[in-house]
Amino acid sequence: MATEANPYRLLGTRIPYVEGPLKVSGRAEYTDDLTRPNLLVGRLLRSPWPHARIRSIDVSAARTMPGVAAVLTGEKYPTTFGVLPITHDETALAVGKTRYIGDILAAVAASDELTAERALEAIRVDAEVLPEYSDPHVGLGAVEEPIHSRGLNGSNIQKEVIQHFGDVDAAFAEAAHTVRVRGNFAGVTHAFTEPLVTMAEATPDGRLTVWSATQVPHYLHRALSEVLGIPLHRIRVLKPEVGGGFGGKSDPLPHEIVCAALAFETGRPVKMLLDREDVFLTNHGRHPTQNDLRVAADAEGHLLAYDLSAVIDGGAWSSFGTVTTYYNGVLAMGPYRVPNFRYHGRRVYTTKPPSGAMRAHGGTNVRYTIETALDELAEKLQMNPFELRNLNALPPNSTTITQFRITSTSFLACLKAARERSGFDAKFRKLPYGRGIGLGCGFYISGSNSPIHFTPKMPQCTVHLKADMDGGIAVHCMQADIGQGSNTLLAAIVAEVLGVQLDRVHVVPVDSDVSPVDIGSYSSRVTFMMGNAARQASERLLALLLAAAHELTGYPAKQLRVREERYEVAHRPDVGVSYLEALHKAMEHSGALQASGAYTSPPMGGTHKGARAGTAPAYSFAAYVAEASVDPETGFFAVEKVWAAFDCGRPLNRLAVEGQIEGSIHMGLGQFMGESMNYRGSRLLNPSLLEYKIPTPQQMPEVEVLLVGADDPEGPFGAKEAGEGPLVAILPAVGNALYDAVGVRFYDLPVTPDKVWRGIERLRADGKRWKGT
Amino acid sequence: MHLDPFELHEPTTVEEALELAGSLSGKFDYLAGGTDLLPNYKMHINLRPHLISLERVSELRGVSADRIGAMTRLAELEEHREFGAAYPGVAEAVREVATPLVRASGTVGGNLLLETRCFFFNQTYPWRQSLGFCLKADGDRCHVVPQKERCYATFSGDLAPALAAVEAEVEVAGPSGRRRMPVEHLYNAAGDGILRLSLVPGEIVVAVHFPAHARRARAAYSKLRVRPSFDFPELGVAAAVWGAEESPEKVRLAIGGLETYPRRFDADTDPLAGAALTDAKVRTVAEAVTRRVRPVHNTFLPPDYRRRMTEVFVRRTLTRARSPSGSRAA
Repeated sequence: MATEANPYRLLGTRIPYVEGPLKVSGRAEYTDDLTRPNLLVGRLLRSPWPHARIRSIDVSAARTMPGVAAVLTGEKYPTTFGVLPITHDETALAVGKTRYIGDILAAVAASDELTAERALEAIRVDAEVLPEYSDPHVGLGAVEEPIHSRGLNGSNIQKEVIQHFGDVDAAFAEAAHTVRVRGNFAGVTHAFTEPLVTMAEATPDGRLTVWSATQVPHYLHRALSEVLGIPLHRIRVLKPEVGGGFGGKSDPLPHEIVCAALAFETGRPVKMLLDREDVFLTNHGRHPTQNDLRVAADAEGHLLAYDLSAVIDGGAWSSFGTVTTYYNGVLAMGPYRVPNFRYHGRRVYTTKPPSGAMRAHGGTNVRYTIETALDELAEKLQMNPFELRNLNALPPNSTTITQFRITSTSFLACLKAARERSGFDAKFRKLPYGRGIGLGCGFYISGSNSPIHFTPKMPQCTVHLKADMDGGIAVHCMQADIGQGSNTLLAAIVAEVLGVQLDRVHVVPVDSDVSPVDIGSYSSRVTFMMGNAARQASERLLALLLAAAHELTGYPAKQLRVREERYEVAHRPDVGVSYLEALHKAMEHSGALQASGAYTSPPMGGTHKGARAGTAPAYSFAAYVAEASVDPETGFFAVEKVWAAFDCGRPLNRLAVEGQIEGSIHMGLGQFMGESMNYRGSRLLNPSLLEYKIPTPQQMPEVEVLLVGADDPEGPFGAKEAGEGPLVAILPAVGNALYDAVGVRFYDLPVTPDKVWRGIERLRADGKRWKGT
Repeated sequence: MHLDPFELHEPTTVEEALELAGSLSGKFDYLAGGTDLLPNYKMHINLRPHLISLERVSELRGVSADRIGAMTRLAELEEHREFGAAYPGVAEAVREVATPLVRASGTVGGNLLLETRCFFFNQTYPWRQSLGFCLKADGDRCHVVPQKERCYATFSGDLAPALAAVEAEVEVAGPSGRRRMPVEHLYNAAGDGILRLSLVPGEIVVAVHFPAHARRARAAYSKLRVRPSFDFPELGVAAAVWGAEESPEKVRLAIGGLETYPRRFDADTDPLAGAALTDAKVRTVAEAVTRRVRPVHNTFLPPDYRRRMTEVFVRRTLTRARSPSGSRAA
């Protein structure tokens, strides 16, 4: 607990990012900072049609233009790929059909940007325009021209999930109270700072080297091998610094493969830096979703059942969609005990930019739906919203009806902290009209138990350490620092265990030639899985050092304790050796020391279809209170303050955890108050950071972070995730605060001022009053 | 995205610039701060092979009690304490433009002559090509109001309504000499997003002039937009009141961000002279103005909402301007 003395030297403190000085001085190297001799510029021709059959693509004029090194179209690399092995439906460039405005039709490598764009203009595409399907509801039934041949029964349904646990109908029959809500959520996108960028080089030794802004170097590695037909060991993937990902750099993306293919075609290095519009069109952001939820409760407020159905707009490709479809259901299973649960989820292809994984993937929209429905339920029960949550909280060491094992949970502590610090009870329904307070809670996986892997028996993460005579410790691991601080955590864990100063530890940039596999930065898995692997590797290296210290001191290793840069006898602190003395002694036997550690999540989950979806070795919990003020005449509102109580187990780097919570609140507020992918039909109207309304710093509330988690039994040093779970609770907290302020429920996100104004007008027109109006 | 190559000309006097303009007739744009023109160029919107930079024309510089040179940076004006004290409504509008970074480059003249904006116009070349080019660039139809005659792009400058409300004037230099006109006459009141200005080809805005009575006005500016920074106005309301609240000599209202040009509403505000500017009167004027405006759906917020907000914003802005303290605080 936060109140106990910290038993660690580094972990649990505020540790500035190890690469921070390089980043703030502009010296950190991102992919676009890199160059190679004779570098070519790669550019993409994108489809102007939402859905069309390609009759021919004439590249002859483009190919002969001076300065053009290669022009590529889809038929040369028709192998399908996709992040999930079970839904390979993408090709690097369109083959036969184009499925959204922005689908890649052709690619050019040329001496410079201008020449490349001139070449694109010279490409002639002859296509037969096909019916456009922008509305996922239309695609639920048979359609004239399914977007993919894999659509269910001639429809555009990509994935259908039907699950029933317990007996939902019986639960509703005996329920004292029921609530029914429909939540509609516009698509949102990651809008990371660094645009998508890849550089590739094929060399005469038969090898391909690829530098890319990716969250998952390993999946990129696999996709390159599959599509280009090159064995994995002849491909080298490097991940330079990455300027944010939020899920948008976790799929292997078409431009990465196209860039590598162009390098092969030309024998020269090629760089492809995407424009912001390209990034919007690549998307893979949060799915536009419609959730229909019914909640049943008994007279005391015990939850009896959820009955949930969802229509999820997938866009043109599968991406993570099968996972999304499951998550949008099963992530409803916390933080409360729900004894009966039925879910019907359908993800439908549309002729729009593909949706995919985005921070708190699959858990955000359903969480808003549930938490606002519970606010309605609490009102029906005439119960304080906190009491409703207290009554239904999942206890530690319990199992959900979907067979998720809940080990640690400090959800009750989160509720207590948020309630007390915010003064909730004194404000709820008591603030003047136009001012309100609301509660929203959160639940998220701390690392997916299911690696997207051909051989799931392999560890999800491996860490290699090497200590040499200079006293430095090199750390190799394919974990992807994308700005979230995983390099810093990795270094801190190694330094903590070995007792050395942080600057002795060097996290070597990801390079598939030397970095052992970690499956990347997604599903909030890195702290938990990499942390455990790093701890194991460090403890093994420490054993070598302590053996040497034993040789030098004569005391058995188990009597030695780790101090800063020193190993000393526990009962005789004057007897000891320095880290360097121990290291150099140990090296007499074997030269540089090496150690390896790995993490594999334990067996878990049920046996029903889809049982693995949502299983994780731990879960995070959250209780947020938001206070907001509304201008009822204009509908503009401001979130004044947020009390964010979060259970990430033991926070290992408080600075990073606070940053994640504040950043998550900003991102969640964006989805709530203004961000949306706006379409006219299948056409994205706002592919720019001017018209895609990310909140400005002026719109950011004061945030009080309350870290109240108890140690997780399996997490490294007791830690759980803090990268995604902190996002989900803010949206319903603000939604419920707006209801408290003006008496209007908002189920259509984003809640732009015009919607607030309209809601207030409607309430007035209906003659309804709220808090003294 | 790249900028296509262009030839840059850097005259040092207005006359030299006009001469260049004459010789490059139809093949040039004037370049001031570049914050509006160059992003449009990157999107390949109405490219010209020549740019005449006004950066070195010293006559276009300088801020004094009754004149702002057209090339004055918005940031410079923002930091000018005496200007802010003399013309608080204009100073409010300046502070509301875009972001500090844009204001560091953007100019007074550039904001007055801001290209009109539309969802279907401010897009990249491939985007516009994919939909079919519009009237305003490369095409022959409108995607906002389906027809082929008139462009509905929105005038999105903040300064024009604020300047028009205090009856400021612009000085313009052209091939046939210099002229002065009220700021609102700079715009084409026929309401077309393409033929948006009254300038003749080659004319340069030299400066904004303030008549003596402008600094006696109590004035305010309010801007509707989704975010408190970055965004262009979805509605911008400027109000100015001369004389005592109990008996104003004159009231002026100007609105931008809503239609193809900034408008003044003298017919609605002239009757307000001479009698107390009560809440009821303010409300009546606000409702009357709201009935006249016709926003269309080519910005982020829906047009019906923007129209209804006109009533709220006019009422609030006028209420601020009438009060002896409120609007002069700046």
